[in-house]
Amino acid sequence: MELLIENLTKKYNQHVAVNDLSFQLKSGNCIALLGANGAGKTTTLRMLAGLLTPTAGVIKFEGYQNGIDIRSKIGYLPQHPVFHGWMTGNEFLVYVGRLANLTKLEAQQRADVLLEQVGISDAKNIRISKYSGGMRQRLGIAQALIHRPSLIMLDEPVSALDPIGRREVLTLLEELKQDTTILFSTHILNDAEEISDGLLLMHEGALVEQGSLTDLREKYQSQKIELSFKTMTEDMVDQLNQLPEIDEVNADRDGLVCLISDVDQAREAILTKALTMGWDLTNFTVSRATLEDMFMEVVNK
Amino acid sequence: MTDVAHLLQMLWPLLVLQFILLVVALIAWFKTDETKGPKWVWLLIILFVSMIGPILFFILGRRTD
Amino acid sequence: MSQFLTVFKKECLESWRNFSWIWVPIVFILLSIMDPLTYYYLPKLMEVVDDIPEGMLFEIPEIPAPEAVMMALIQVSSIGILIVILLTMGTIAGERKSGIAELILVKPVNHITYILAKWFAKFVLFFVAFTTGILLNWYYVNQLFGDVGLTELIYLILFYSLWIMFAISLTIFFSTIFKGPGPVAGITIGVLLSMSVISGIVSRWLPWFPNQLSTYINDLLISGKISTDLWGTAGVTVALSIILLTGSFLIFKNKKVL
Repeated sequence: MELLIENLTKKYNQHVAVNDLSFQLKSGNCIALLGANGAGKTTTLRMLAGLLTPTAGVIKFEGYQNGIDIRSKIGYLPQHPVFHGWMTGNEFLVYVGRLANLTKLEAQQRADVLLEQVGISDAKNIRISKYSGGMRQRLGIAQALIHRPSLIMLDEPVSALDPIGRREVLTLLEELKQDTTILFSTHILNDAEEISDGLLLMHEGALVEQGSLTDLREKYQSQKIELSFKTMTEDMVDQLNQLPEIDEVNADRDGLVCLISDVDQAREAILTKALTMGWDLTNFTVSRATLEDMFMEVVNK
Repeated sequence: MTDVAHLLQMLWPLLVLQFILLVVALIAWFKTDETKGPKWVWLLIILFVSMIGPILFFILGRRTD
Repeated sequence: MSQFLTVFKKECLESWRNFSWIWVPIVFILLSIMDPLTYYYLPKLMEVVDDIPEGMLFEIPEIPAPEAVMMALIQVSSIGILIVILLTMGTIAGERKSGIAELILVKPVNHITYILAKWFAKFVLFFVAFTTGILLNWYYVNQLFGDVGLTELIYLILFYSLWIMFAISLTIFFSTIFKGPGPVAGITIGVLLSMSVISGIVSRWLPWFPNQLSTYINDLLISGKISTDLWGTAGVTVALSIILLTGSFLIFKNKKVL
């Protein structure tokens, strides 16, 4: 399946929650929708799940004939899933399975498999109101998978969990991505890097960067050299910018950061420059820029 | 005296129903994890406000989820 | 159909687990038999309990049997209907407010099925409760006040159930408009109250106003015949319920913001 999103927009009165989003999702991928809180991730997912009507734009699920209820192909887990607390975990799974048009037998079989897979089969006959947060999150994942959807969308699946629960859910997602397309939102880059193949980076409702994790790493993990001086003068940036070995120079609190491609050449050029100009260099560090830098840069803009 | 016997004969279902209502309300009260307002207040209401107390508890007392 | 049964069964199980299937019938029975019993036995009770001097005994006039049956309807149409509204308000509005609807409605559930199953589950609960109450009332009335025919009683049950059905439909209709059970109950009760006020004013020109059901049922008990007005009012009540339900489907389907 391929999910095609074009110019997706959601406005609440004057406030634009999601602005002109376009991307596509290839089948078999695990994509992270990354962004700070309030970036519009939840709104996007809710529109894709059919819970919100977009103000404008197109959501197209390709590979299905028209008229099919697309909800039968989607599994969705909200950020704070709420269940019928008076039901047991098993009852709830069978209930939503039946709602997704499984037969009684199929629903029970799926429930058994999933309860095992998400690791709450010991608690399957206990009322959900007694479940802990982690157990609810697993039950939430199980209910999203009950009807074997080809795409599951998870809204912040690990953000409410403690480190152990988070580890377990991430491992679970790792297993799931073998046979399901996954789109999940998170505000933590580490989680995204850990299991996803690709990133969609949202900021203030707009998509600011997207691509496969490898491409983005390549794009942003250039090397950099950090310089500090006893006294800094304004012409330093210009001077360094003139050097062909340096791609970009940015000033920060501690000094200057030069983005470079070749460490050896750049080192020589910079040091020579420093010597000829008589700069009182106090720090010279070679390091790698990371996705984290890119993320922070985008988010703090 | 036959009057009293007749009275009891006719009215016992009323008493039994009220009693069942009370007992079921107490069971529900006991099994509820969370009530709206302090739980012990609801116990007093169930026990001492006849008929209306249990009804109020069933409708308003429990947090449903 | 299987989705309808799934939701319907789930609703019934829920009503069973939260004891509604026990307490609602009991309350409807109590509502139906309390007044006739009190009316009949209060003077006798006073006699037994207190040694009231002869002259002090107050005389309570004998009432005809149909009136003793109507006592049940009077209680049911106030407290009973209030319980109907309060228990129905949460069924959709509550699920939307708590967020559970978010899990349910991303499944390929037909919106009409979802509403209809909930509506039907509530109707069955209250129909059973109401019928049990009336049957017990009938038993006592026949013992203490005089005969009322079973046929008339069955008509009463069937026709009055339409009013219960209307109350459920109205509550569900507002449930699809407002998020949160509180406003739903408030508005539904407000509408029913204003309807009874309006009905009082316009009954001369609009004889088939739904609120007139009880009046015509009373006539039915006395005369033993179903009047045209009763048929008409019943028709209007059913029509209004269907309109309300259709409205609920449309609103709920188009309202994606949960």
